[in-house]
Amino acid sequence: MLPETQTPPSRSRAAAAAARFALWLAPLALLLVAATASRGAEGGSAGVSEGQLLRGAGLFAAVSALILLVLAEFVFRRRMARGTYHLLLLVGLFMLPVIAILGASATVLEETKTVASCNSCHIMHPFVNDMKDPSSATLAARHYKNGWIPDHQCYSCHTTYGVHGTLEGKRDGLRHWLLYVTGTWKEPINYKGSYPNINCTGCHAGTPKFQRVPSHAALNRYLSKDQVGCITCHGPSHPTPLERPVTPGKEAPK
Amino acid sequence: MAGRKHADGGAEWWDAAAEDEDGTGDVLTPGGLTRRELLRLLALSASGLVVSGSLAGCDTALWVRQDVVPVDSWHKGVCRFCGTGCGMMIGVHDGKVVDVRGDELAHNRGRLCIKGVLNREILYVKDRATKPLIRENGALREATWDEAMALVARRFKESIAAHGPDSVAFYGSGQLYTQESYTANKLFKAGIGTNNVDGNPRLCMASAAAGYTSVFGKDEPSGCYEDIDHADCILLTGSNAADCHPIIWERVLDRKRSKPDTYVIVVDPRRTRTARRADLHLAIYPGTDVTLYNAFLHEFVRTGAVDREMVERYLKFQQAGTPPQPRTFAQFREHVAKFTPEKAAAVCGVSADAIREAAFRFARAKASLSLWTMGLNQQFQATASNRLVMAMHLLTGQIGRPGATPFSLTGQPNAGGGVRDTGALAHTLPNGRMVAKPKDRAEMEKLWGVPAGRISAKPGYDAVGLFSAMERGDVKCCLVMGTNPAQSLPNADRFRKAMEKTFLVVADAFHPTETTQFADVVLPAALWTEKEGVFSQSERRYHLVPKLVDPPGEARSDLAILVDLADRLGQGALVKARTPVDVWDEWRKMSASSKYNFEGITYERLQKERGILWPCPTEDHPGTKRRFVPGEDPLAHGTAGKDRFDFYGMPDGRAVIWLHGQEAAQDPASPEYPLRLATGRVLEHWHTATITGRVPALQDVPIDFLEMNAMDAARLGIGEGDRVEVRSRRGEVELRARVGDYVRPGVVFATFHSAKHLINRAVKETVDPISKEPDFKNSAVAVRRKGGPESNAA
Repeated sequence: MLPETQTPPSRSRAAAAAARFALWLAPLALLLVAATASRGAEGGSAGVSEGQLLRGAGLFAAVSALILLVLAEFVFRRRMARGTYHLLLLVGLFMLPVIAILGASATVLEETKTVASCNSCHIMHPFVNDMKDPSSATLAARHYKNGWIPDHQCYSCHTTYGVHGTLEGKRDGLRHWLLYVTGTWKEPINYKGSYPNINCTGCHAGTPKFQRVPSHAALNRYLSKDQVGCITCHGPSHPTPLERPVTPGKEAPK
Repeated sequence: MAGRKHADGGAEWWDAAAEDEDGTGDVLTPGGLTRRELLRLLALSASGLVVSGSLAGCDTALWVRQDVVPVDSWHKGVCRFCGTGCGMMIGVHDGKVVDVRGDELAHNRGRLCIKGVLNREILYVKDRATKPLIRENGALREATWDEAMALVARRFKESIAAHGPDSVAFYGSGQLYTQESYTANKLFKAGIGTNNVDGNPRLCMASAAAGYTSVFGKDEPSGCYEDIDHADCILLTGSNAADCHPIIWERVLDRKRSKPDTYVIVVDPRRTRTARRADLHLAIYPGTDVTLYNAFLHEFVRTGAVDREMVERYLKFQQAGTPPQPRTFAQFREHVAKFTPEKAAAVCGVSADAIREAAFRFARAKASLSLWTMGLNQQFQATASNRLVMAMHLLTGQIGRPGATPFSLTGQPNAGGGVRDTGALAHTLPNGRMVAKPKDRAEMEKLWGVPAGRISAKPGYDAVGLFSAMERGDVKCCLVMGTNPAQSLPNADRFRKAMEKTFLVVADAFHPTETTQFADVVLPAALWTEKEGVFSQSERRYHLVPKLVDPPGEARSDLAILVDLADRLGQGALVKARTPVDVWDEWRKMSASSKYNFEGITYERLQKERGILWPCPTEDHPGTKRRFVPGEDPLAHGTAGKDRFDFYGMPDGRAVIWLHGQEAAQDPASPEYPLRLATGRVLEHWHTATITGRVPALQDVPIDFLEMNAMDAARLGIGEGDRVEVRSRRGEVELRARVGDYVRPGVVFATFHSAKHLINRAVKETVDPISKEPDFKNSAVAVRRKGGPESNAA
C-alpha cells in the first residue's frame, strides 16, 4: 500500500515520487470518505454507518501516518531530497493527522449518541434502567418499549434539531462528563433550563390526535416558545428524584 | 522550548532549518513574553476558565441551557384549582408570579394540567376586584374599607337584633383556606350563634360526606392516591377524571401502562374521554345508579364473592329510613335478590352481561378501587349511591389494602380540609361533630371557650335551603365568600331573585361576577399566593400555599376580612387567632381531641414537606395512608395482621352496609320534556369560569355547546353546530349542538361554565333528601333547533 516500501532505497527521485503519490493519496482518501459517508447517510441501509466509516478512515490515516513518519525519519531520510522529506513530513504530520482527527472526532460525536455511551456514567443507570423497564410508565420507557424512537433514544430527545442543537447537545455532554469525572455534580440531578418542545412536537404536532386536543390549541403560544413544557402535562419523562436510588456519598433529596 | 539556541553551528540542513524557523518564531516581545508563551498562556487560561466555570456551576448561556421565563426564586405551593391538589413550584420575578412547574417531589410527580399551568396568569387577568364597593341608588360605587365594613357590620347587627341570629348567614367555599373557613365557622356558630354556615361544597361534596359519615362514622375517604398504583380493577362511576381530575386520570393510565391487564370500568351516561379509554363502559340512564350497584351486590352474593370475615366481624346492615332499621345479612341478601342483572339491565339501559362482567371483575380483582365525583354526588339518590359503592367494597373486602378502597374525588382545592373537616356546613361542627348532638355542641363550646348553649341546637340552612330562606325573607343578610352562587345554583333565576331581596355581601377576587351584580357590598379579596393558607385535597393531605406577592389595589385576604368583621360585631375576643399561623395552630391542637387528629402537622412541617395525610397525631408521625387499619392508622386499635379493621368512627367498630331501593326521577320526563339534561365541565375551564374564563389563553375553548346523541339529533332535525334551545319547566338556554356519540340516546349534556348561556336556568333544584346536595345531572328538558351553524346569534 505504501509506495515507499516499493522504492529502491538509493534513489531519492523515486522517494520523492512516492512522497508526491502519498500527497495525492490524502485528498483522495478524504474524497472517498466524504462520498461514501454521504451515500451511507442517504441510503441508510448501506450497512456501514457514517461514524463507523469515519472511524475506519481515521484509523487508517493514523496508522499510515505513523508508518510513513517512521520510514521517512529512520529509514529513508538520508536517501531523499530535502523537498521530498518536507513533503512527507507535511503528509505525515499534517494531512494524515487531519483525517485521523476527523475520524476520531466523528467517532466521538457518533459514539456518544448511543444509549450505552450515556449509560457509561453510573449516575445514568437509573434513567436507562427505567427506560428499558417494560413495566415503567415514564415517557422515556413508553417511547422505548413501543419502538417510537428506534435508535439513540437518549440523544434523540435531548438534542434539538439542527447544527445548533448538536452543538448544544455535545456541550451538555461535555459538561456532564466534566461534572461526573470531577465528582462535582449535585444530587438530585435535574434538567437545566426549559425543555425544547420541538423535540416532542417534531413528531407529534402534525397528528390529528394532537390537533384535536383543545388544550394544545389554547397553549399554542406557550408551547411554541417553550414557556410551558409538553412534559408538564405528559411527564414525567424519567423517574422522579424520589423514585431514583441515591448515589452513594450524595445527599438525599428532600 | 522557546528561546532554544542551537550550539552546533555546523548542523545539518534539517537542524538548520529548524533553527531558522525557531529563530523567526522566537522574537522577544517588549513585555518579556514570547509569542508562544503568550499563546500558551491564553490557551491555558481559556481552558482553565471553561473547566473551573463548569465546576463552579457557572450558568452562562454558553455553558448551560437557560429557562425561557426568567425567574428570581422558586417556591413550593399548591394549585388553585381542583381537588387533586397538585404540588407546584411557583416562580417569582420582580414581585410577580411568572411561572409554575409541577413539583416533582409532590404526589403529582411534576405533572400539571392546563389549569395548573395557567396559575401563572390568574393573578393578572382582567376584572380583579381592587376596591370595596357599596351599592347606592342601585349602582355600586367605590368606598373605603372602613365605610364598607362599617355598613356590613351595621346591617348584620340590625338584622340580628331585629330578627335573631338566624337571619344572617355565611355562604362559603371550598376554595377558602382552612384558616378562613374555620374562622368563619367559629364566628357565626360560636359568636353570632347561628348555624347558617354553608357553602358551595354543599353543591359538590355533601353527598360523599354524608355517605362516608353514615357508613364509617367519620367523613373523608380512607384510602389515598397511592392506591391507584396498586389497583387491578378501577371503577370510575360518575367521574370524568380525564377532564375533571386530569392528573389523577394520568395516574390511572400509568397503572394501565405498567400493568396492561388492569381493568377499567366507567359508569357514565356520557361517552367521556374517560369512558373512551375504559375496558368496559356502562352508559346507564341517569338516576339509575342505585339499581346498578344493588345488582352488583346481588352478583357478589350470587357468585360467593362476599367476604365472610367482613360480614361477621366488621359490618352491620341497616335499612335506610328515619330512623334506620337494623337488618341481618339474610335480610340484606333478600333485598338485593330483587336486583338481578336482567332487571337492572331494563332499568339502567345496559346489558345484563355487562353488569355481570363488571361485578365479576370488581369482586375478583386482587385489589379494586373505585373513584367517583359529581356524577354520583349530584343526584337525587346521591347519598344512597355513595353508600352502595362503599358497600360494594365492604362486602367484598376490597378495602384497607393497597389498591382497594372506595375513594371519592373532591372538586375544589379545599372542600375537604376547609369545609368538611372544620365542620363549616349547616349541620356540622369541627372534626366530624354534629350540630344535632348535644354532646358535640358542648364539646365545641368548651374548646372554643364560649358559654354553654351558645351554639344553636338548630341546624342551619343548607345551600338551596339558604337561598330559599332568602326568597322567603327569613335570611336578611348573607356574606358570600369566594364563590359564585348566582351561576352555580340550580334554577338560577329563582335564586337570583332571592339574592336581590337580601343584603348580600360578596367577598371575591373578581368583579363583576354573576353574584357581585346582586351584591350590596363587594369586598375585594386576595387570590391564591397573594395570601397564605392551608389547603387539603381528596386524599386528606394538608398542604400549604405560601404568600408570594401582594394583592392588587386594596384587596385583602378573606381571613383579614373575617377578623375585621368579628371585631366590628363585637366578637373580637372570640377570634383570638388572627394570622394564618395562629389559626392553624389553634385548629391543629383542637383536632387532637378528635378522630381527625392532625396535631403533628405543624406549620414548620407544612413549610418543609409536600403535605401530610392525616391522621397524624405527633410531629414525628409520617401521616396515614389507609385509615381504620390497625398498624397503619395510629387511631385504630387492634393487632396489625390479626385485626383487619377498627372502624372507630362507629361506637361498635362496625361499618354500615345500607339497604336502599331505587326511587323515581324527581323531574319526570314527559312528552313535552323527553330528554334528560346533565351538566358538567371541560378540562380547560373550572366551575363558573370566574377565573379560567378570564385567562386569555382559554378564551377560545368552547363551552357553549350541547352534547347530544346523533339519534336524538336526527329525530329532532338538528345538525352539528346548529343553534339549539334547551328548555325545561324552569327556563331555557341557547347553545350550539355537538352531535355524535358523546352521550347515550335520551341524554343531553352542557357545561355550567358559561355565564352567557347559563344552563342552570334549566336545571331543577331537586336535592338529595339526606345530603341536601342538588341534582345537577337529571333534569327533564326539551331541545329544538333554532338555526343553522352559519347564523351567529348564539
